[in-house]
Formats: sequence, C-alpha cells, structure tokens
Amino acid sequence: MAGIADFLDSLIGGFDLICYSLAIGSLFWGLFVLRPWHQPEQYPALLLQKTITLIYKGGFWLAAAQLFKIILKIWLMAAVLERSPFPDFAGTTQFIGGIIRTLLTLVLAVYSYHVLRNQPFSKQHWISAALVAVPMIISGAWLVHGAGRFENQALLMSLTVLHQLAAAAWIGGVFQLINLWLLRNNHQLDGGLWPLLLKRFTVFGIASVAALLISGLPIALQYIDSWNGLIGTGYGNLLLVKITLMAIALGFAWLNKSAVSDYGLSGNNYALTHRVPYYIEAETFVLVTLLFTAASLASQPPAIDIPNLTASWQEVLNTFNPQIPQTSSPKHTDLIAGEAGRVAIVGQTPSLAATEWSNYNHNIAGIFLTVMSFFAMLSYVKYPALRPLKYWPLGFVGLGIFLFFRSDAETWPLGPIGFWESTFNNGEVLQHRIATLLVLVLGIMELAARMTKNPDSKLPYVFPLLAAFGGLMLLTHSHVGFQAKSAFLIQVGHTTMGIFSLILACGRWLELKLDQPSKNIATEGVYAESLPGAGGRIGSLPIATLPPSLAVAAIAGFISVAALFQIGIILMFYREPLY
Amino acid sequence: MKKIIPICLLLLTLCLAQGVGAHAVITDYSLKITPIRANSPAQVELSFNSKIELGLSQIFLVSIGDKHTLLQADKGSKQGQIIIHIPPLAAGDYALRFKVFAADGHLTEDIIRFSVSE
Repeated sequence: MAGIADFLDSLIGGFDLICYSLAIGSLFWGLFVLRPWHQPEQYPALLLQKTITLIYKGGFWLAAAQLFKIILKIWLMAAVLERSPFPDFAGTTQFIGGIIRTLLTLVLAVYSYHVLRNQPFSKQHWISAALVAVPMIISGAWLVHGAGRFENQALLMSLTVLHQLAAAAWIGGVFQLINLWLLRNNHQLDGGLWPLLLKRFTVFGIASVAALLISGLPIALQYIDSWNGLIGTGYGNLLLVKITLMAIALGFAWLNKSAVSDYGLSGNNYALTHRVPYYIEAETFVLVTLLFTAASLASQPPAIDIPNLTASWQEVLNTFNPQIPQTSSPKHTDLIAGEAGRVAIVGQTPSLAATEWSNYNHNIAGIFLTVMSFFAMLSYVKYPALRPLKYWPLGFVGLGIFLFFRSDAETWPLGPIGFWESTFNNGEVLQHRIATLLVLVLGIMELAARMTKNPDSKLPYVFPLLAAFGGLMLLTHSHVGFQAKSAFLIQVGHTTMGIFSLILACGRWLELKLDQPSKNIATEGVYAESLPGAGGRIGSLPIATLPPSLAVAAIAGFISVAALFQIGIILMFYREPLY
Repeated sequence: MKKIIPICLLLLTLCLAQGVGAHAVITDYSLKITPIRANSPAQVELSFNSKIELGLSQIFLVSIGDKHTLLQADKGSKQGQIIIHIPPLAAGDYALRFKVFAADGHLTEDIIRFSVSE
C-alpha cells in the first residue's frame, strides 16, 4: 500500500502542476495575450467566460490536489510507520505549507469565480486577480526540492518558483489555445481571432520559454556538478528527458510559428486550420508529460549528492549495447530456489536465474514488439498480399498471454501460490495481472478499430492515448530505487522507452487527426504509397498532388511505427544487472 | 466507449504503481571508518543530504533471518545528521534498515549492510 500511495503522490505532483498551469497560465493569458480591456468589442463574452472558467476551475482543482497530497502523505506515513503520523506531521513544513497553499489557492479560485467572472473586461479586476495569486505562488516555495537543502536554500526556492511560473505561462497558454480552437471549431468564435491570438501567443511563448531556460539553468548547475552527474544519475537522466521533451514541444511550437508567419505573408490559412490545431494537441501530450516528469524529478536525489552512486557514461551506453537476445529461459525450479536468498536483507545472495528470467521476459517482449512494428511498416504498402498485416496489433494479444505466464513465476499457473491468493494478497502480482490485462485490451481494441465499418468510431484514439499514458508512466515511476547504480541502469532504458512511447502516441495521433485519415488507415490503408520509399504516390495520385497534411499525416504515422520499433529494440537488447 | 479510456487509464495507474521513492540520501556514515566491535554498545552516525523529520522516521537493526529491531535515534550536531544507538551485538552479519522522511516530504527507504567482528 505504501508503494501505491507513493506513486499516487508522484502522479498528484504532475496533476498539481497541470492545475497550476491552468490557473496561473490562464491568468497570464488574460493579462498579456487577450488584454480584453483593449478593444473589448473584439472579444465575444463567451471567450472571456471560458478563459476565466479555466482559471477558477484550475484553482479549485489545484486546491483539491494540494489537499489530496497532504492526505496521501498521511496515508503513506501511516503505511510505512505502521502508526499515526500525528502529532509529529502537524508540525512539519509540508503540512503547514500545504494547508496554507490550499487556502491561498482557494482565495484565488473564489475571487475568479465571484468577482473576475462578472467583470471580465475590467483591467483593474484582472490586475487584482494577479495580486491575489501572488501569495499563493510564493507559498509554493516551501514545498519544492530546495526547501530541504542546506546550501543556497532561498536562492533555489526562488528560482524554482520562477521556473514554475514560466512553465505555467507557456503550458497554460497552450491549454488556452486548445480552448480557443474548440470554440472556433464549434463556430462560437470569429475566425479572425484564431490567427490573431496565435500570433500574440507566439511572442509571449518565446518570452516564457526564455524565462524557463534562464531560471532552469542555475538550478541545474546547483544540483548537477559534472557531465557524469548529468548522464549517470537518475536526476541527470530525468533532466535530459525534460530537455528532450522540451525540444519536441519546441519543434511543434516552431511549426505553429511558421504557419502563423506563412499566413501573414500569403493569407492562406490552410495550415492554420488543418495542421496547427493538431500540432497543438500533440504538443499538449508532450507538455503534460513534461510536467509529470518535472514532478518526478523533484523526488530525485540531486546528482551532486551521490558521486559514489553515479554511473559512468560507458556503463550507461553499455545498457543499449546490441547483443543476441536471450531466447532460452532458466528452469523454473532454479528461479524459485534462488528467491529466498535474493530478497534477504542479511545474507543476500544475487540470483543468476532471476536475472536471466527477467532478461528472457524482456527480450522476448522486445521480439514481439519489433516484429509487430515491422509488420506495421509493411502494412503501409498497398499490396494485396500484405493487406492482412494491418492486423499487426494482434501481437499485443500474444504478448499479453506471454506476460500472463511469465511475469510472476512464483504464482499460478507456474508457481505454487494460487491465482486469487497471489492476485489479492500481493500488490506487485496484482499490478502485473492488470498490466497483462491491459496489453490484451489494447490489442483487442486496436484490432476492433481496424475492423470497424463505422467511419465515426472513436476506437482508433484509444491506442495513442494509452501509449501516451504508458510513456508518461514509464517516465513518472522512474524515480524508484534510484539510489543503487544498478537500479539506475535499469531505469535508463525505461525512460528512453518512455520518450519513444510518447513519440509513438504523438505520431499516431497526428496520423489520425491531420486531415482525418484515420478511417482510411484503420479500414482501407488508402494512403499507403504516400510513405517515403513507397513511390511517393497515393493510389494513382502522385504525392505532390495530395493535400499537404495527408502526406504529413502519413509521415507522422511512419514515425510512430518507427518509435514502436525502437522500443522493441531496447527491450530485445535488455540486460538486467545481477542483484 | 467514453468509459473505456478512463478505466484503462485508471488501471494503468494502478498497474504501474511501484515502490517507495527517494530524495534524501545518505552522504556519509560512520560505519565506513569505525566498525562495530562484538558485545559492546555503539553509536552510528548517518549524514543525509537533506533535513530529516526524525519524529516521522524509523531505523531498524536487521539480524540473521531478517529479524527487525527498532532502534533509538537522535539528532546529531550537524544538519541532516542522525545518531543511532546500537545495542551490544554478537559477531556476525547485520543491516541497518531505515525509513526516513525528508523535510521536502519524500520518503527514503534504504539498507546499510555491515559485519560485527570480535
């Protein structure tokens, strides 16, 4: 139960940052992008109403998340200490600071709901809302990583608050762009506002990203004192993940900026309405994952504190070293015999059988995914004999069955412990059972998506959503057991797979969304030949005559499958350290 | 369909829940330079990289067969330092298993293995 409570604590950290971005980022959006007191006739009341709704809803959810965090801490401590954490907990900074921040957040939410909502065009009320937010923003400083440090405590707390503010300005603005697009798409907004506000946000977004980097760099330098610390520790690894995700998000932002510039030059709004909204959706996937990664980073021991537990860059590189997959499993009896020694605290004996059992599971899962991704690539080719390959997600069903038998060797059907007994008396076994079920469900649902005759089916969207969530999970839970170098070396592969899961999700999402080719890819495979190396044609049409987004969608789909291939390769070469 | 995605997300959340995370880590401990002698009480100093909430922390002595005994701990003279009082021990292998809450709210669980000689 402690494990679940702690993991929920990591998740609620990400959720907290999302709500913070919604509330504070929307406030920035109103103050610096909309500026509704200038030319109020330009904005429909509905737009202001929706903008302010995001502020107070974000605020109320943030207050709830903050309160839930305190409850989770109490739960976690009670589970670990096996007693009530009170009265000790009531005197901690976490408890007092958490309660104060909850109350201050509620003040902002209530002000936005009762006052700002009724005066949406008043500059004075927008400024008042910002002033009301200031104490809440400052109160967050006592809940960050820097608060527990011995050196440069005030500096680190201040920089972290500035970093959070800059992130909220950027990400909250992106949330507002989605809100804006939904209104425009539902014909509730004048079409001219979309390019106007996109252009304004471009400038604001660049300023936010600059502030993000300026505040983030000194924090990184305080916590990481060497290149090895960046490459060979959990903290450094997650920072690299953040940088990678930021680069991907900035890539989408650059595409959006280019579309806005092109519109300004040519007046052609095709890209603004057929590409930009979906790029923003994909960027949102990335930014949300970025927030969860940031929350996870906050639970890492800084690299500067663990020089003796830092892996060398050679050791990190070695984890990705190609090698022959292990295709033979150790005997089940050998595995069971070594378990008691492996889990003992005193007199611990590493189990070679356990390591090889795990290697085999990972490598076979990698072979499954690699073969599936290869079939998925071939399925894009419009050739009758290859048509059945579009059902490649069937491989997930096979993988699910494999995991069912292999994940928990000490339980039914291989081990002596019964199915129900093991499922409900052991949290880890329960988690494996659910994971197995999910892999099966994922395969069945994606198969159903490819077989459905309903052109409006939403089933195809399940796959990228679950892939994005899977990527988020791989990155979020990566803080576990990072103290040991071997545990970190295991995690490096998992965080890399997390990034590829996200790329898979974004690619598939764009493939489905850009010019809506989902029905084709799921049921007909129409644009198969538009892929690079496939003749540059769709059916009889040269690629040059296609709507541009269709070709972009096909490329996005191919990138998605390539990401699945990469995940398969990482798993196929996986080697667990002996422990 | 509307219910499927939230259910899947919820299940994924549960299935990926893992063990306890760590922020506070031990930067130094006295056992490295001062081993414990058999049959005499001893004190072990643990230094952490972060402020520790001692009232919300537990340190156990683990002996052969993974038997746990709760130990008394006090704050040390330096920031982030804890002094653990070890009872007289027979020669053999032991471990210190600690669960500490850092001031930033994160829980650390870790183990230090050591031997007691005559």
